[in-house]
Amino acid sequence: MALVEVIDGVFAYNKNRIFTNINLSVEKGEILCLLGPNGCGKTTLIDCILGMHMLNDGKILINGLDAKKFHPGELAKYVAYVPQNHERTFPYKVLDIVQMGRAAYTGRFSSPSQQDQDIAAEALAMVGLIKLKDRPYTQLSGGEGQLVMLARALAQQTPVIIMDEPTAHLDFKHEMLVLEMILDLVRNRELTVIMATHFPNHAFWFENNALKTRVALMHEEHFVEVGPPMDVICEKNMRLLYNIDTRLLSFRVNELGEMHQIVPVKTL
Amino acid sequence: MNKKIIILIVFAAPLLVIFLSLFIGRYPVSIARVLQVLWSGITASTWGQPDVYNTLIWQIRMPRAILGAMVGGCLAISGAAFQGLFRNPLVSSGILGVSAGAGFGAALSILIFHSVTGATYVFAFAFGLLAVFLSYLISKIYNSSPTIMLVLGGVIVGSIFSALISFAKYAADPYEELPAIVFWLMGSLASSSYKDILVAGIPMFIGISGLVLIRWRINVLSMGDREAHALGINLVVDKGLVIVCSTLAAAGAVCVSGVIGWVGLVIPHIARMIVGNDNRVLIPASLSLGACFLVLVDDVGRIITGAEMPLGILTSLVGAPFFIWLLKKTKAGGW
Repeated sequence: MALVEVIDGVFAYNKNRIFTNINLSVEKGEILCLLGPNGCGKTTLIDCILGMHMLNDGKILINGLDAKKFHPGELAKYVAYVPQNHERTFPYKVLDIVQMGRAAYTGRFSSPSQQDQDIAAEALAMVGLIKLKDRPYTQLSGGEGQLVMLARALAQQTPVIIMDEPTAHLDFKHEMLVLEMILDLVRNRELTVIMATHFPNHAFWFENNALKTRVALMHEEHFVEVGPPMDVICEKNMRLLYNIDTRLLSFRVNELGEMHQIVPVKTL
Repeated sequence: MNKKIIILIVFAAPLLVIFLSLFIGRYPVSIARVLQVLWSGITASTWGQPDVYNTLIWQIRMPRAILGAMVGGCLAISGAAFQGLFRNPLVSSGILGVSAGAGFGAALSILIFHSVTGATYVFAFAFGLLAVFLSYLISKIYNSSPTIMLVLGGVIVGSIFSALISFAKYAADPYEELPAIVFWLMGSLASSSYKDILVAGIPMFIGISGLVLIRWRINVLSMGDREAHALGINLVVDKGLVIVCSTLAAAGAVCVSGVIGWVGLVIPHIARMIVGNDNRVLIPASLSLGACFLVLVDDVGRIITGAEMPLGILTSLVGAPFFIWLLKKTKAGGW
């Protein structure tokens, strides 16, 4: 059974239609990359799955159940969220931030229990930042901050994590670090990830690492194609989505075997 | 620091400050005499204390100190809650217009009844709540970013009521009503009585209790709407609770004390420098610190001038240097 399913999804802000006829189904243990130009509605679709917005038509099933029937607290036990741009306002300690992942398990008028605090510490250890637990998180670098957001999502202990451009603003190394973390989570902890990204090569990278990967190409209010990266990320589709000329490259890395990347050549 | 010690300080500090302020005032009373009066009051013995001392300690200084602690605590705790909720360190308890609304309510009642009466409290409280409700209505006009719209609504409502206050001053009789309005707006605890404590204490108590209970959720709410929602928070209920509780606390405070600036803005920051940003600790710490601060400032006001110095003036004059000193001392540690 699909963990997250969108059936004939339609959404509009007032009369401004964002997407229509969106069909999507994500299975356990797979990673789905949402790919599309700026403003194509990726974030809005994510907001709908998270229950921030209601679809105008169609429906969303979470674990086979209508998402409308979920309270925010229940939904947060199935789907966690890693934001694109987390605005850091108050300098909370890193561990305080991760503990917020336990909100769905904590009563309105109480604070996280010892058990919840342990789960949060464990999640922080999972992303390798436990040594920073007492640091103000406003002092972290962009990459560390993103890992803390990931740890907070892990503390929610959900089967599904949704990420909105998790590597935006990260340097080369931290981008890889976050991707490797996602790879580990999907491969070894059987998590399911839905991820909006601007980089087609992220999808290739997951596929190259033998992860069950699918890509949904979003363009002009609907999905152009959904399928494995090798099938859908092609020069023709890149031209359609971004209006750029690209080349698909193949090369061998000894321990990984055949790898693929798509590189831009010029705008058209 | 040990958690229990912190909790002890939070509870004990305001009580200690209230106790100390019983010894302070224009009318000279020896320390021994104050203790005797307190003892005979507690034991309810008729052990011959002159009435003037009984009245002074039990009917004037005591209620004034208690009310001061409640008002200071309420302003600070609602300021801390609003800062977290609106993710903005520059907002204070008056952000949704409660102070301006209460100020106009008080001015209106003074115009109608020609002086400060019991109705002044009622009017101030009612208009304080009305102002916040109007801010809320304005935020509903345009739905897309409700938090910003709410703050904007507060700014609009606040400016309307400020204009109305000016109009009330303009329309007031300059010999009786105008001074009453002006003094009320500058804030004072001079006429405190146990009746004030009981009446205004109800909304203040509800507000404080609610905020103390929900304090960890304020951490989560300060992550912003989308993230808080994704973390499993019911935004409508939880934000509503924080706003209602903060408003009750602030309106309860303003209606008995008048408009006292500074406390709701800066005490939470001072508390941050001392205990950090986690609202689990920050909310009780702000409450305690606000209570101590206002009682101490009121003590200063009683000593330094023969006449009553309005509190709103002193909170800034005393608070600002203290804030600067603390900034230097902690090197803005909380930030």
